[in-house]
Amino acid sequence: MSPLLEQFLSEARDFLQGIGEKLMQLENAPDDVELMTELFRFVHTLKGNSGLFDFPEMTRVLHAGEDLMDAVRNGRVAYSQQLADRLLDAMDFVGMLCDEIEAEGSIGAAYAADSARLAESLRQLMASAEKAGAVSAIEEAATPLVLTAAAATAPLLAPKVELPLAEIPETARMAAYRSARAGNPLHWLSYSPAEECFFNGDDPFFQARQTPGVVWGGIVARAPWPPLAAMDAYRCLLDFRLLTTAPRAEIDEYYRYMPEQIKLLPVSPLALVLPQGDPNGGPVYEDLVVDALRNLRGGDVSAVARAARAMLELSNPDLWLSSALRWLLLLIECEPDNHPALAALIESLRSLQPVDWYLLEQSATPAVGAGTAAGATEAAAGTASPLAAEEAAALAAIVAAQRAILSLPLGAPWQLGRLRAAGAALAGCLRASGRGEAVHEVETATAQSLACGSAQPLSDWLAHHFAPAAESAAAANHPSASAVATAAARPVATASGGANTASDGDRESSSGRRADDAESDVKFGRRAEDAAAAGVKSVKVDQAKIDRLMNLIGEIVVAKNALPYLAGRAETVFGVRELAREIKAQYAVINRIAEEMQDGIMQIRMMPVSFVFQRFPRLVRDISRKLGKEVNLVLEGEDTEADKNIIEALGDPLVHIVRNSLDHGFELPELRRAAGKPPAGTLTIRATQESDRVVIEIVDDGKGIDPAVIKRKAYEKGLIDETALERISDQEAVNLVFAAGFSTAEVVSDLSGRGVGMDVVRTAIEKVNGAISLESQKGKGTRLRLSLPLSMAVTNVMIVESDAQIFGVPMDCVVETVRVPRADIRSIKKSLTTVLRGRIIPLKSTNALLGLAAPPLANAEDELAVLVVRLGDESVGLLVDDFRETVDIILKPMAGVLAGLPAYSGSALMGDGSVLMVLNIKGLF
Amino acid sequence: MKRILIVDDAATVRLFHRAILESAGYAVDEAVNGIEALEKALQSTFDLYLVDVNMPKLDGYGFLRELRGSELPQAPAIMISTEAGARDEQLAYAAGANAYLVKPTRPERLLLLVRMLIGEVPA
Repeated sequence: MSPLLEQFLSEARDFLQGIGEKLMQLENAPDDVELMTELFRFVHTLKGNSGLFDFPEMTRVLHAGEDLMDAVRNGRVAYSQQLADRLLDAMDFVGMLCDEIEAEGSIGAAYAADSARLAESLRQLMASAEKAGAVSAIEEAATPLVLTAAAATAPLLAPKVELPLAEIPETARMAAYRSARAGNPLHWLSYSPAEECFFNGDDPFFQARQTPGVVWGGIVARAPWPPLAAMDAYRCLLDFRLLTTAPRAEIDEYYRYMPEQIKLLPVSPLALVLPQGDPNGGPVYEDLVVDALRNLRGGDVSAVARAARAMLELSNPDLWLSSALRWLLLLIECEPDNHPALAALIESLRSLQPVDWYLLEQSATPAVGAGTAAGATEAAAGTASPLAAEEAAALAAIVAAQRAILSLPLGAPWQLGRLRAAGAALAGCLRASGRGEAVHEVETATAQSLACGSAQPLSDWLAHHFAPAAESAAAANHPSASAVATAAARPVATASGGANTASDGDRESSSGRRADDAESDVKFGRRAEDAAAAGVKSVKVDQAKIDRLMNLIGEIVVAKNALPYLAGRAETVFGVRELAREIKAQYAVINRIAEEMQDGIMQIRMMPVSFVFQRFPRLVRDISRKLGKEVNLVLEGEDTEADKNIIEALGDPLVHIVRNSLDHGFELPELRRAAGKPPAGTLTIRATQESDRVVIEIVDDGKGIDPAVIKRKAYEKGLIDETALERISDQEAVNLVFAAGFSTAEVVSDLSGRGVGMDVVRTAIEKVNGAISLESQKGKGTRLRLSLPLSMAVTNVMIVESDAQIFGVPMDCVVETVRVPRADIRSIKKSLTTVLRGRIIPLKSTNALLGLAAPPLANAEDELAVLVVRLGDESVGLLVDDFRETVDIILKPMAGVLAGLPAYSGSALMGDGSVLMVLNIKGLF
Repeated sequence: MKRILIVDDAATVRLFHRAILESAGYAVDEAVNGIEALEKALQSTFDLYLVDVNMPKLDGYGFLRELRGSELPQAPAIMISTEAGARDEQLAYAAGANAYLVKPTRPERLLLLVRMLIGEVPA
């Protein structure tokens, strides 16, 4: 993918998210003008960006969205929830297209229909809203254009039939026009195959396509489509419409078996001259029209052509005016002597109204096909050097713009800057067109203008040296007045060996100037760098780079841990106590730096939980509306930060929880009212930091969970036995929803679904060393509490020894370490237990759990080492051989075939180079 | 090397214009809104400004007005807009633009205008 496209996609996603957020905010403050403006700008910029690429499906939707937001912004359309819904749908669609582009590199054809539908729905929204209020300027401008076009063409052809010539693309119409002007007849052919034609073995589509001389073809439904159920696919309900340049006799011959199914109407070539496009503005055409009409009267058609070509160059090709200019050029080429037609078309540039060719043809007889040779020569002369023409056009445009600028009234002091800039622009033009010798004149005129505080001197200079815009572009055959044309031609002349000293001198001086510039560039460069250092506040970095840093710092942490080991060896093996002490001192320094560095890199990876929270306003809104519930969402502590991995792991479980809460936690408004609660429920999602954990609470004031139901269900599922059923507290009971196997569809319906996939949520949370708990009061609401580590990068483990091997146990799980005399250990059935602080603790041999044969070792006093660990809500004692220290390690998850070993959560490299296996307590049992 | 400041809030558009201009041998700096553009203009000298209309904080019109009203060197400015209307064009000129281009920009057209306004002698 090109960097530009990548940039576009990434920025587009930012904008889409921004649009979503702003729309949410607007729901609460529909009158906030600033929000509205922001929102419009987002859509507008996104549309502008999409225009850089060829994604018509995307641009179409965004354009409609932009127009809609513009209407809202200007108060022409009132903001409504429906509007927000549609806009959100449209943005979702654009997001989908972004995904598609990212995956496929382009947008599949399948999206075109959706795109059209969405754009249409947005436009409808605007149209219907505007119908009530003021009339849309856009529609006002667009609709009459079509109407008048139809009105203009209709009488020309057949009194009763209105030919939709405007539907034919401009290129096809131009081709037809050319062909007609070359002497071919032009016919509109309407072919309505018989409804039962398929049963006669006809292939109307093939028939239509093979029509001789087809320039354009279209298919329309004969009548509005019947409902799908009533439709007979074997009946042909289509009409074919064609524009053909074949002689009538040929067409009649071709359709000889179905003469009653075709209608043939002659079309006047001029009827095809229907400029189309965006009617809104363009460059100023007034000058062009006046000059062109004068030139036409003077018989200088080629000058008109040149001016039109130059203006066309300046205009957006999608404009109505550009289309009109293209037609003008074609007319000049094909019938340069049809002055009435040319004049009418030129007039239409000013009026922006299509020419009424019918009237025109009645009042004058066009000279069909005459003078083509002359037109061709003129055209050739006009395009002798395309580059020069382009340059001349650009020059003309700039000069015209500066003239417009200088003619603006001077008021505030800042207009002096404008004068200066106009002077600089003109000087640039002179140099660029090889007329550097005149630069000082401009500079003098500019200085005069500035001195007297008036644009007059500069205007005068401009008037003296550059003819008015249209003329200058069209004046190649009036050398005296055509500064521009000669300017464009000049470089060629000097290059081909003309000893033009002035020009050469100018070039020398300009290269000298460039040297100066180069020098000052260095200076500017430095200053710009300084500026950049002061201005930059954030950097976007590829995550892979940060991950690499993380890995490296992990290695440093491990490598530095080798130093104490080395110090120990220095003392014990080599007997150099002094060196050992120095190594330890140095270790302390490196250790401090490494820890700070690690902390620093962790900070980079920290992200605010808002990254996850931001999707909830939309989610809650959409789901609650779908369910017919009213829910207010309260988000708190959005800037609480945690490691990127943690934040990302949080997303799906949270969505699951929120969905559950909306679906099954909240009651419908009537029920709430009946229960004496406010009809709108409140869902609070709160993030806080508690020492090195992030705590996320999801609190709803819905109907809560009934522990009796849960207990019964758990019993039925065999998750608890009869004694447990009696014994467990309500609190313990509601937490049974997290038990694997608790959530099945059957339970969902009985229990109104609380607990759907909660074991999945728990698993996801525990995967990142998090914990989840649930409190619920029947009728009052539910509170879910997720507790997650701030970071997953460093794990604090206790090292234990068993069967002469060392293992790590995450400190999160460790409750305490005790030594229990062998006499205090009792066997109940086959299980070992001991009583610790009045509680019975089951004991398990680590060796046995890991499949090691050796029995647990006791110390000299015949005491066994018991590591008490937390397993869910219970405590279990692990019999080990000995305890060691606790260390910070970088835990590497087990990879490859080892990933399937449930007893280990990963491995870590120790300072002495050995590998520590870290136990997964839950996986042991 | 001639220096051009691109003022646009859309990173994609900035990248697009930067690529065009850099390929033609210009040095390019960027600003994401009018305020930042003014700061850059204060710190450094440019030969041309390429200015978007719609931007947060300070839009293209505002930037040009501030620039033209300042004591800073007055380099020509091209305003780039999505609106192809005579009125918008006039507004741009009144604010202090020297040329007006409609998005999406055609590279050759942009370069031609830039070359003319900066005043580079054709090779």
